[in-house]
Formats: sequence, C-alpha cells, structure tokens
Amino acid sequence: MNGVILGLTLRLLVRQRRTLLLVILAALPVALALIFRLTGGSMDTNPDFAAGIMAHFIVALVLPLTALVVGTAALGQELEDGTFVYLVAKPLPRWRVVLAKVLAAWIVVAGVVVPSVVLAGVVILGGFQGERLIPAFVVAVLAGSLAYAALFLSLSVRFGRALIIGLAYVFVWEALISQFITGVRFLSVRAYTLGIAEAISDSPSRLLEVSLGATPAVILLALVCVGATAYAIRRLGGYQMSERV
Amino acid sequence: MTTPTIEVSGVSRWYGNVVAVNDVSFEIRPGITGLLGPNGAGKSTLLHMMAGFLQPSSGEVRVLGEASWRNAELYRRMGIVLEREAVYGGLTGYEFVLLNARLQGLADPHDATMRALDLVEMGPAKDRRTGGYSKGMKQRIKVAAAIVHDPEVLLLDEPFNGADPRQRLHMMDMLRRMAAEGRTVVFSSHILEEMERLGDGVLVIVAGRLAASGDFRAIRRLMTDRPHSFSVASTDNRGLARALVGDPAVAGVQFQDGHLVVRSDDFGRFTVQAPRLAREAGITITEIAPLDESLESVFEYLVQR
Amino acid sequence: MTANDRTAVEGASNIYDLGYRRYDGVRLGRWWAVLALYRESLRGAFGLGRSTAAKVAPLVLIGIALVPALIQLAVGALVPADLEIIRASEYYGGIKYILALYCGVVAPDIAGRDQRNRSLTLYFTRAISRTDYALGKLAAMTTAMLLITLVPQVLLFAGNALSTQDFGGYLADEWTQVAPIFGSALVGSLLIASIGVAIAALTPQRAFATAGIIVAFILPIIVAGILVFEIDADATRYAVFISPLDVLDGFTAWMFGEPAATDTAVHEAGFALWAYAVVGLAVSALASLLLIRRYGTVQA
Repeated sequence: MNGVILGLTLRLLVRQRRTLLLVILAALPVALALIFRLTGGSMDTNPDFAAGIMAHFIVALVLPLTALVVGTAALGQELEDGTFVYLVAKPLPRWRVVLAKVLAAWIVVAGVVVPSVVLAGVVILGGFQGERLIPAFVVAVLAGSLAYAALFLSLSVRFGRALIIGLAYVFVWEALISQFITGVRFLSVRAYTLGIAEAISDSPSRLLEVSLGATPAVILLALVCVGATAYAIRRLGGYQMSERV
Repeated sequence: MTTPTIEVSGVSRWYGNVVAVNDVSFEIRPGITGLLGPNGAGKSTLLHMMAGFLQPSSGEVRVLGEASWRNAELYRRMGIVLEREAVYGGLTGYEFVLLNARLQGLADPHDATMRALDLVEMGPAKDRRTGGYSKGMKQRIKVAAAIVHDPEVLLLDEPFNGADPRQRLHMMDMLRRMAAEGRTVVFSSHILEEMERLGDGVLVIVAGRLAASGDFRAIRRLMTDRPHSFSVASTDNRGLARALVGDPAVAGVQFQDGHLVVRSDDFGRFTVQAPRLAREAGITITEIAPLDESLESVFEYLVQR
Repeated sequence: MTANDRTAVEGASNIYDLGYRRYDGVRLGRWWAVLALYRESLRGAFGLGRSTAAKVAPLVLIGIALVPALIQLAVGALVPADLEIIRASEYYGGIKYILALYCGVVAPDIAGRDQRNRSLTLYFTRAISRTDYALGKLAAMTTAMLLITLVPQVLLFAGNALSTQDFGGYLADEWTQVAPIFGSALVGSLLIASIGVAIAALTPQRAFATAGIIVAFILPIIVAGILVFEIDADATRYAVFISPLDVLDGFTAWMFGEPAATDTAVHEAGFALWAYAVVGLAVSALASLLLIRRYGTVQA
C-alpha cells in the first residue's frame, strides 16, 4: 500500500463527473423507497419490498455498475492516457501501487453504495425491528464492493475495453445466464454478495433463486479479491510501453 | 577508463515481423549524448529500453551497472521524460512535481519540488493547473518532475518538440549544466541543429541499426568514400585552381561567387598540399573552410547508406 | 529535328501545361451526400472494411435475437399440435435486453466514430448541413435496428407460413399480421435508434456511450417495474412510460390489436394501448431534436 497513491487515486476518482452520475444512480433506490412509503407502503403491506429493493436493485444493479465505472477508472484511466508512467518509473514495488488503487476504488464504491443501502433501508423499514436487513446488506455490500472493484480493476489492466467486457459480465452473465443455469451460479460475484446477505439477515424473503451458503460465499468472494489483485500485480510487473505512439 | 553509465549490448527488439532495433551495441558515459535518427528509426524504442519500459527481445541493457528491465530501485537514480506522456491535468504544476517527489520517497519533498521548479523556470506558474499549460510549459514541468530526485541519469525523448526557440535554448543550457555536474544525459532528436549544439557525442540510428557513433565531425572524416568540399578564397583564384587541379588529392574545382569550391577525396593530403601549392604559386590563401562538415551532410550520407 | 527522328508518339512534340485544374463536371446534390453518409455509417457499424472482430458483435446479437423465432419454427415443425411459444406481438418483449445491447454496441459506431477520429470537420465542410448529418446518422441507425427487429419477425411469419401445408391459406388468414409487423418494427426501430444515437453523439468514447445506452434502456425497465408492480399506486402506474422498451411493448400490442402480455408492466399499468404509440412517437421526436441540437453545437 502507498499512501500517496491512495490519496491521488481517491482525488482523481471523486473529481470526475461520472462519480456524480453514480451518486444519482445510488440515490434512485432511496427515491423509490420514499415513493413506496408516501404511497402507503410499509413492512406490513409489502414485506418483501425492502429485501427486493436491496437485492435486486442495489446489489444487482447499482453496486456492479458503480464498481464497474470506478474500478475500470482507478487504474485504467492512467493506463489509457499515459500518466501511468509516473507511477511506474519510481522505486515502488508494483504490489504497493495495485493495492493502493484497489483500496481507493473500494472506498469510493462502498462510499457510494453503502449509504444507499442504509438510507433506503431506514426509509422503508421505519421503526421495524427484526430481519436485520440493513446490517446484512451493509456487510454484503462492503464485501461485494471489494470483490467487484478488484475484479474490474484487474480487468482494466488486461483489456483496454474493460468497460464493455464488464458490462457484458454484469448484464449478460450475471443478469441472465447464471440465473438460468444452476451449474454456474457459483461463478457470480452477485451470488456471493447475496449469499452473505442472506446468511446474516433474518428475513423470510428469498434473496437468491438458489441458496448459496455463507461459507462458500465468503471463501469464493475472498478468492476473487485475492486472485484478481494478484493477477493485476503480476500483469503490471511486466508492463511495457507500447511502441505505437 | 571509467565504467560506462549505460551499456547496450547486442540489443534487438522486434514486434512480430517488424524489427525496430537491430543488434545495436554502444556505451554511454557521463556528459550529453544525442540519439539521432529519422522518424521511426528506433530511437524511442532504444530509449524505452534504457528506461526499463520495454524488454529487449535479445541482448541486454544495463544502466549504472544493473539491468534496467524490471528494476524499480534503479529509478531512484534515473529520471525519464518521454514524449507521449500526458500529465495529471487536474493537479497544479507544484502538486504534480510534489507527487513525483513523494513517490520517489524523498526526505524533503517540498524543498526538492521548489528547487526543481526553479531550475525549469516554472516557479511563477506553479499554482496553475497543468491542464491549462501550453505545450512548452507541460514539457518543462515534466522535466522538473524527472529531475526532482536529483538523478544521475536523465533520459529525454524528443525534449525539444514543440518548444519555442527561447525555451529550447534555456533547456539546452540546463542540460549542459547538468552534464557538467557529472550526470549522464541522453536525449533523442531528429532535428539536426539541436544535436549540433548540444551533443558531445552522437549515436546515429537508422532503420533500427547503429549507423555511426562518436563526435560528428570525426564521423565526417571517416566518411572516406565521399569527397570533402572546401571553400577557398585567394588573391588569384584561377591561378590557384590551376595549381590545385594538378594534385591527385583534388577531385574537382568549381568557380563560384568569387571563390573556389574544391572537392577532395583525401582530406589529409589536401590539407597539407593546398597551402604548399599556393605558396609555390605565389598566391595567398585568404580563406579556407570546410563546407560539408555539418551534421546534416553526415546525416544525409548515413541515412542513404 | 530531322526527318529521321522517329518516335512512337504521333504528331509534333509538345509540353502540356497541366497546372491546377478545376472540376467542371456534374456535381451531385445534397441528397447524394446524405446517402453517402448513410451508407458509410452502416458499413462502419457492421464492420465492413474493418477487422473481423468488429463484425462479430452486431451479428452475434442479431443471431441471438433470431433464437425465439427459430425455436418456434422448430417446435412447429416437430410437434404436430398448434403450439405457440412466442407470439409476434410479444416478440420484442422477449428480446428486449438484446435490443438494448445491440443498440449499445452499434450506436457508438454510427454516431461516435467520427468524433473519435476527428473527421467531423470533414463532414461539416462539405455539401451537407449539420442537420442533414444528424438525420443521416439517425436513418442509418434506424436501418441497423430494423435488421434486428424486422428480420426475426419476418422469419417467424414466413417460417410459420411455410411449415403449414397450406401456404396460401395461411397467408389469407394471417395477412393482417403483415402491416403490424412492419409498423411495429419501424416505429420500434425509430424509437430505440433515436435514443441510442442521441446518447452516442454525446461522447466520442465508445465505452461510455455503450454503458450510457444500456443503462438508459435497462434501468427504466427495472425502475418502472418496481414502481408499477411493487408499489402499484395510482400515480406510480405512469412510470411505465419512462421505459422505452415497455413503451415498445405497448404500441406493438396496439398495432397487432391484441392485449399486452399478462406479465408485463404494460398490462399491469392498464393504460389504453394507443397511448403508447403516442408516447413512442413523441419520445422519438424529442430524441431526434436533441440529436440535431447536439450536432448543431458540437465543435468539429
């Protein structure tokens, strides 16, 4: 880890206009929650709504999209515009650089999505006790943010078109394929995230189509984090300047 | 003999079928060395390899005694200014150089930053965002970032691109001073005037090969299959011409604008014979000067070989 | 020159003064310029003249869009009973995500590439006004969308017709389907295309345009779905109109004269189906205006 790079990356990520769009995106579930309450909804009339919004809107859409935009920008932006050379021509081991970047991406993604969970939860649940939905999803989102951030960051190290590939992963793989083919449900960060949420919460609502236990979810998620980060470090170790200027 | 700062041994670099650098070997010592060559000759590739940004396909590049590839610690003693790099547009000039100072792990980054900014004369503009800098200013701030840690070796890729004459002169002065302090400065260029003014030694790269190395005037004299041209003015040009034509060292004489243009295949013999022949004929030579010892003619020759 | 000078060239020797020549021939008009733009945009979008990789994505997506039609035909051929897997009026509902993806992949190629290559200046200094340029791009994108909206439907229809023993009879019964097939494909293509190009024209960077387009189509589906199904209040039913792909469902159903499929937001919201046609055309018009405005003000 390197504090200077962490600070620099945080500064660069937060400053972009895209981050504002992501905040608006994260505000949508909260707006929906408000509309829900204003039209008379509550945990009595619609007990599945809270879990549904958190699982199928925040975790399934807001989280991966935010992580995709932030994760591919955290390192990818510098690789693309050539400023990466300033980080590389320094007496710094590559792993420090990568870790700082992953950490920065994680902080920004979690910083955008966790408040969304908390606010939407507070609005919908009101004074409702039980179900532990908010803590469950906060933990799940914290874990999922790290996994997604690491995954998309390492993707951006390998591919210039990481954003499009990530979009395909989120909207084709996670949204469609892994829902229908039970064999591959274990290959989806969304599944791990929801698995963690399901394990912690006490809600009767079904969050996942097919349950994934807590232990497998945590282990697989950790594997993604470590594997993606390690891959990024390795790949950057052999970083070469392209001749095609 | 001191050990060379940079050693390139049998280095080649290819991309699929395209050979960018073809079996090049040379040594660079402290002082200013220029890499000269037409566009696409492989100068940038060589610089990137020296800077550790590119791995040689074969051969070895050593800087300060160590391989430059995959050597993060070496960057403490090496500063690099590449042509293509953008700068972090959102940071001010000061913040940008400070960033580099801190990443270098300097004990006192602020002082080092201010010194570097002064060296490149960017002090007044340091609090403006680099995104708003002109091209010349961006170049200077990149140099400041590259020297903030006081490196022994400085590599610059086309550093004078886009600089106006005043900035160019100033940067040349700065590089000369740094070289005088014992540093090794290597820069690439395809502009001959820059090279003539600055380079102690020049490495001419053509089509991926090392075409010549050393002092360019000395290289010129080595080019024996091309006659040298001299401009000679005297008290009796026609008489001198008659005397010179008789000597086997003279390949041709031409009358032009009140002086003679003499071509000679044998530089050594001519320089001895010309005054002697003039004295024997009772003619005084008022002026004698080489016409084609410019780097341009050297360059043209080497590129065409 | 003596009489013995024989050359291969007839006549006296001459030096010809070539100099600068003007073009005095026929100049084709504005319409041809727009047509050329249209053709080039389409070619570029489908990767003709580029590497194979560029051709893959759009064609693969069209292929996927054909799958329901192929399944229906296969079933119809193998199973004697009259089994309807997918109705023509519900086709787009089934492939709505594919339509969004396809638009996201093709639109940035049609609208963004000129900005990326900085060739906008070339276009704007020719016999083509900025508005013409915008409309030309819109036409190209609409044509590209027609490929993925019309082809599967035509395939389905023709396939069904051919699989019955009585081709003529089938046509006589089902000819009322033909107009809605073309109508819904056309309006649907225009709707999706106008939104897609309007977004793609905003940024030269392909990835952001693609992401923006996909989010612009898919996010409203989800939000409208939540507002209409889950929250289900009187006021929130109107949310169905913010989702272009649901609006597409609506006016397709209207054109076919059938009710909306039961599990869709359109059905749940319960509005009269002609309203969707109005909204669809209004949104297309608005998006087109925004597109024209964008190209009117963009720096070339």
